[in-house]
Amino acid sequence: MSESGLKNDQGIIERYLGQPARLPDDVRALGEGALGGSVRLYAMVDLDVELGLTQRWLLLGDQRVALVEPGGEAHAFGRAEVRAIREEPGLSATLLHVLGRAEEAPLAELRYTHRQRRAVENVRFVLQQQIEGRDVDPGDADVEYARAVAAPVREAQALVAGNRRAVLWRLLAYLAPYRKRLAWGFAAAAVITLVSLVPPWLAGYLIDEVVRPVQDGSVPAEKGATVAWLAVVAMALVYVVRQAAALVRLRLMAVVGELVARDLRGEVYAHLQKMSMGFFSRKKTGSLITRVTSDTDRLWEFLAFGVVDVSLSLVMLMGLSAVLLSLDWRLGLVMVLPVPAFCWTIFWHGERMERLFLRTWRKWSSMTDVLGDTLPGIKVVKAFSQEAHETGRFSARSADVTEEANRLHAAWTTFWPTLMLAIQGTTVLVWAFAVPRLLGLGGGGPTLSAGTFVSFLLYTTMFIYPIEVIGQMTRTMNRATSSAHRVFEVLDTEPEVVDVAEPVRLRPVEGRVAFEDVTFGYDGVRQVLRGVSFAVEPGEMIGLVGPSGGGKTTVVNLIARFYDVTGGRITVDGVDVRDLDSAHYRRQLGMVLQEPYLFHGTVLENIRYGHPEASPARVIEAARAANAHDFIVKLPHGYDTLVGERGQTLSGGERQRVSIARAILHDPRILILDEATSAVDTETEREIQEAMDRLVAGRTVFAIAHRLSTLVNASRLFVMKDGRLVESGTHAELLAKEDGIYRTLYTLQREMAKAI
Amino acid sequence: MVRIGEAALRLERRRDGQLWAARNGEERPVRVHRLFPWSEDERHVSLRDAGNREFALVGPEEELDPASARALEEAMVAAGFVLEVTAVLDIEEEIEIRVWRVETRQGTRAFQTHLDDWPRETPGGGLLIRDVAGDLYFVPEPGALDASSRAWLWAFVD
Repeated sequence: MSESGLKNDQGIIERYLGQPARLPDDVRALGEGALGGSVRLYAMVDLDVELGLTQRWLLLGDQRVALVEPGGEAHAFGRAEVRAIREEPGLSATLLHVLGRAEEAPLAELRYTHRQRRAVENVRFVLQQQIEGRDVDPGDADVEYARAVAAPVREAQALVAGNRRAVLWRLLAYLAPYRKRLAWGFAAAAVITLVSLVPPWLAGYLIDEVVRPVQDGSVPAEKGATVAWLAVVAMALVYVVRQAAALVRLRLMAVVGELVARDLRGEVYAHLQKMSMGFFSRKKTGSLITRVTSDTDRLWEFLAFGVVDVSLSLVMLMGLSAVLLSLDWRLGLVMVLPVPAFCWTIFWHGERMERLFLRTWRKWSSMTDVLGDTLPGIKVVKAFSQEAHETGRFSARSADVTEEANRLHAAWTTFWPTLMLAIQGTTVLVWAFAVPRLLGLGGGGPTLSAGTFVSFLLYTTMFIYPIEVIGQMTRTMNRATSSAHRVFEVLDTEPEVVDVAEPVRLRPVEGRVAFEDVTFGYDGVRQVLRGVSFAVEPGEMIGLVGPSGGGKTTVVNLIARFYDVTGGRITVDGVDVRDLDSAHYRRQLGMVLQEPYLFHGTVLENIRYGHPEASPARVIEAARAANAHDFIVKLPHGYDTLVGERGQTLSGGERQRVSIARAILHDPRILILDEATSAVDTETEREIQEAMDRLVAGRTVFAIAHRLSTLVNASRLFVMKDGRLVESGTHAELLAKEDGIYRTLYTLQREMAKAI
Repeated sequence: MVRIGEAALRLERRRDGQLWAARNGEERPVRVHRLFPWSEDERHVSLRDAGNREFALVGPEEELDPASARALEEAMVAAGFVLEVTAVLDIEEEIEIRVWRVETRQGTRAFQTHLDDWPRETPGGGLLIRDVAGDLYFVPEPGALDASSRAWLWAFVD
């Protein structure tokens, strides 16, 4: 794990879990004293004997195991004394007995919540391996502890939620390449804001400087008419300029938002392609798709409109306040003072709506659960005559949704008119303060002109929109930073498998594969391969057999370099696979899986997937060799028939043969077959087997098969059990081994086949 | 597997710390697995051996000697342990998780749930919340909590 990975995990523990992110120094000192050496692995044990929360520490040394109690008392016992480990899992607590001699008190009794389970199991695993006579190197203690404790939160969230402001700045940095357009967009928005202030002022000017003077005869009507018409033209110009600026702003910002969203989408997707298989096994596909699509779309919305709206609303509010106060500070204060309260009220309403939405969402989930349960299981519903019951269940939940939705609608339909009434109330207050001054009756200020009053009233109507935008600013920014975070999470995840600076390209790959004392674990501590060594010559076909969980799939995953080994090395033609150019190497590698995956596209495109330039003749040749040509020709559009999602439905055997044709065209030097014939019927299996026989010829092949009969012709069989290579040899050699695992498995399968 | 009605079942917590079950001359260390932790009588339990095979199925009608009943009771407390929430201090939504801060009978605890992992109502009217690590938090009577806790929980209870 990288330094940043450790920091990330420790950050999660500190931020969310309220327990030490690493072994406290005083506990380490006490523990090392009790262990008589350094701490190799540790875990926190968070329940006491009364099932109250506590902080005990379980420490593993090279020779001893220590327990450090909350009071600082430490006691230890020898690792060699551990005879067995027994577990009593409960709903939320596990009781672990570390047993020494029979009939004697346990060496340790540990009670812990599920939160500590992975860390405790790391220690338990090492001890268990020792009991079974295996030595495990546990790795870095701090890394393993942090990884184990932080894992549930990390898997749910991946990155520490971090500082929202930092995420926002990082997002805004994506605007940098488009700063020119952005500047124009802001300029256009500033023009909109400025010219919006003109019409109310113009109205006031017309009343005070034209209408009233003309009416009281102090200005000639002709001169007044000229000025008035000029004002009308100016008003028209203002509107034209405003809408032209609006057009520029909307178009520029929409385009800029789209360009940034495109950049992010491209970057995320390209980064996803670099990620190793471990990443995809941890993340749900749906969640990754959402990040590339919905999240980038939400960011477009924020960048295109949110950024400008929020900043200009602030400018607009300040501008309006300044104008109102300069027009008449007394009336201005009446209008401006309540503005913060209005903004806060909208914020408060947003928070309340969030809770209402949450409740509605819960009810909605409950309703859709019924749909998700019953529609796929409609046969069972009908078979048990539960249609009426299910209809009732759905109706009840649907009614719940309606009730919550109505509560939600009641909240917002009450809020907005009430807020408007409050804003209009300030307008009434403005009237109340202004009327005595308009009539020259004093009222706490000098006489107010009618024009100033009209301008004032028109400006007050412009307060509503910026107040609304600023009130919702927190929510807008939270939504955007959430999406940005999810996108950055992918971008910040470093691929676990990376090429060296100057990778080797084997030309050509001959296919000599060797494992040299290979160990591997998916989580750093528990090893699924332990000291596996073998050498395979070019052109050999190796059958990987053995019980489930023995390590067969891990062997092929490592050959394909989906993961890097944690110990030992794997060589291809004498070169460590970690020194190879992985893209070039994988082009020499073919895989046929139990569940063949066909992309949405034509049969032709699927066969050509690795070689889009392959001629039709070569495609047909590959399809013939894969026993696929005949059924493809019978499809309505032949090789141009659409398959995959939303395309023509192919049977499992047909999909498998298309995938074999793809592998044959790919012409790999090393071929991996993972249960390639297990999901089909006997007749189809025969056809696929024929195709396979043609496919494997002349290549180094690693084949995993549940049905051992399909591997009797393999050059050699490797029997994997508990992560070790326990037997190897030809079918005949292994059958000759009395009490051999292969012989037992093979005999069992034959007997079962006979019984059927 | 031994069924109810067969020879008397004896249970004891031995010196090695394990719960041992004996019946029909056969004995082995077992663990207790509650069959209906929330809905039916809690004394429906399966006694599982080290290989996770059922050694005995115990129902409410099973007559145990006092020492065995006490040993079973103690084991059931441990097996049924969940953190019992006495007050909700804060619930905050973050990216992809909901962060809870609660007081429990066992002490103050912060935990996280998936956003779409809703608390589950138990037949007795309680509320059961499962965090991302799989730990369970039980609110026996949401209506009996203080006003602030009830306000925090409002969106999650009917």
